[in-house]
Amino acid sequence: MDRVERLTNLLALLLETTQPMTLVEIAGEMGDQYPPTLANLRANFERDKAALREIGVPIETTVLIGDHAGMSAYWIDRQRYELSDLDLDPAETRALQMAFAAVRSSSGAAITAGEEALWKLGTERVDAGLAVTAVVPELPSLPTLRDAIARRATVAFRYHDRDRLVDPFGLLLRDGFWYVLGRDHGHDEQRTYRVDRVQGSVAVREPDGAFERPAGFDPRTAFSSEAKHFGVVGEDARTARVRVSAERAVIVERGVGVDRVVHRASDGSIDIDVPCANIGAFGSWVLGLMDHAEVLGPPDVRDAVRARLQALVDRADRAGGP
Amino acid sequence: MSARPNAESRLSRLLVMLPWLMERGEVPLDEVARTFSMSRAAVVKELELASMCGLPPFVDELIDVFVDDEMVVVGVPRLFTKPLRLNAPEGFALLTAGRAAMQLPGADADSPLGRGLAKLAAALGESADDDSTLVVDLAPTAMVDEFVEAAGRRERLSMRYWTATRDEVSEREVTPRRVFHERGDWFVSADDHRSGERRTFRLDRVETFARTATFDPPDSDPGAGSGAGTSTSGADEAAAVSSVSWSADGSLPRVTVRLQPGARWVVEQYPVDAVMEGADGSLDATLAVSSERWLQRLLLRAGTDAEVLAPPEWVNLGAVAARRLLNRYPEVPRAANREAAGADGGSTARRAGRRR
Repeated sequence: MDRVERLTNLLALLLETTQPMTLVEIAGEMGDQYPPTLANLRANFERDKAALREIGVPIETTVLIGDHAGMSAYWIDRQRYELSDLDLDPAETRALQMAFAAVRSSSGAAITAGEEALWKLGTERVDAGLAVTAVVPELPSLPTLRDAIARRATVAFRYHDRDRLVDPFGLLLRDGFWYVLGRDHGHDEQRTYRVDRVQGSVAVREPDGAFERPAGFDPRTAFSSEAKHFGVVGEDARTARVRVSAERAVIVERGVGVDRVVHRASDGSIDIDVPCANIGAFGSWVLGLMDHAEVLGPPDVRDAVRARLQALVDRADRAGGP
Repeated sequence: MSARPNAESRLSRLLVMLPWLMERGEVPLDEVARTFSMSRAAVVKELELASMCGLPPFVDELIDVFVDDEMVVVGVPRLFTKPLRLNAPEGFALLTAGRAAMQLPGADADSPLGRGLAKLAAALGESADDDSTLVVDLAPTAMVDEFVEAAGRRERLSMRYWTATRDEVSEREVTPRRVFHERGDWFVSADDHRSGERRTFRLDRVETFARTATFDPPDSDPGAGSGAGTSTSGADEAAAVSSVSWSADGSLPRVTVRLQPGARWVVEQYPVDAVMEGADGSLDATLAVSSERWLQRLLLRAGTDAEVLAPPEWVNLGAVAARRLLNRYPEVPRAANREAAGADGGSTARRAGRRR
């Protein structure tokens, strides 16, 4: 028999039952759709239960008392099963269709989860020749993380070779990367993790509602206050002065902001003050401008950039280079 | 669908299809097949299966459905009248797409999109003040708006553009066709009138641009240049976007670099042919080199965290570039250095370093 048929029948049974059913009761109602021996029955049922949960069916479990004390019983809460009516008006439906046409996952899969979701909402994906679109990176653990955030459930994952227990507060897509922000149990402080660097899968711990999300938490501000990144919005007190040649001045000025320009020379070059607390990231940025930039000071920052260049030369010399 | 769907995805689709059909009552078979990306035969097979399912003792079917003269007809609805709530991947996909779309030029919170999204978020169990649990920050700039509008008007723009691969600024005339965001950057896919080809440009590398009051016909190839998988030609910044076409471009020379953990960003930022992980946490990556200048820049940025393994002629490329830049940073006596950074803004040290 087709497994889809058995799954559908099981789903119907659990949706219609007025009280939780034990495995034996379920097997009795399903007849010969399940194998007769208890061990095989249990294995098959567990597999079906996992399959239904995977597609989003909320199968509830309760442990009975009284006559069947200690036995598990199962049912489906109709309220949690059914998608509530969204009541979209035609303009909203159209707008959502256009929005989903404009945003694609990086996998480019033909049938995406978003498309299935649109079917459930009763709308279709349209493919208009849109003038502006976005491609969003897709990672297998993202749905799990979002779900955990909505449920306020603690998650466990491995990161930088260490096991973490985190209360997730929010997800942020910035500069092409997904970050999860939350409270790390081990460090008892707020941390930011890049989701694509999570090793293996993310496990959700019971129960829901395990933590309170800080009032007014916003991943955007929480993220930028961690001065790990060299960026144009760095709030570091320390800055370095960099001279940028006329050939790159326009683009660099737009990137760092006009208020960072401290001097404009008649040859078109500009002097700018940029954050340099993260000396590694700063050095990488300024050397990426190659012949078009020079660190003017402070002296120790200039020396640090000089040392980076010298290290490259020294390594080549040691290897018998040019 | 290319792959044979498993039982889970078939059931999932069936649970969407049944309420969809019930709402409509009668739908042409072709429309069902098209809507759910299935063959007509597959639709008939799945509906036959559904009509066999039921509740014990299995004499009363769940759904009264039959296919008659190219029409799918649904009789009395019994069970599965409402769609299954959204599962975690679907909820994530919807919210992400919606939040991203809200960042695209032209969207605002009071629009139908904003209202529709709010209803969606509520259905996904997010409370009204929870819209900061999932934030998509595409950082659109004023230039993004300008290029989107130019694409709408089909107006040619003249622009000064910095090409990273050659590290030079050039003057071009382009007709923007599509603006898109990918990997954290904004790009425009445009007709480049110098080469006569569709090219992709990174918007933050547009130095200046101006309107030309020349208007071009509508896009003849709307499918082209739409982001991932785009087939663009030339060694332009298309490189950074369309990983598929770039890495497939076998004509470009390859370099193999050993990357220490501090230079891992290289494999995240550029398409690589192959990556081998070493026991010490280093990576050996092979990637296409669009120009020697481009590779120099990469090696300068990565510093000693990157080491060219092959080919031999590039092993010392980083050192050559570093030696050139070192001319800017002469070793001056400490005292002079300190003085230079003082009142007169470091001009002494600087002038000494200039060799132009």
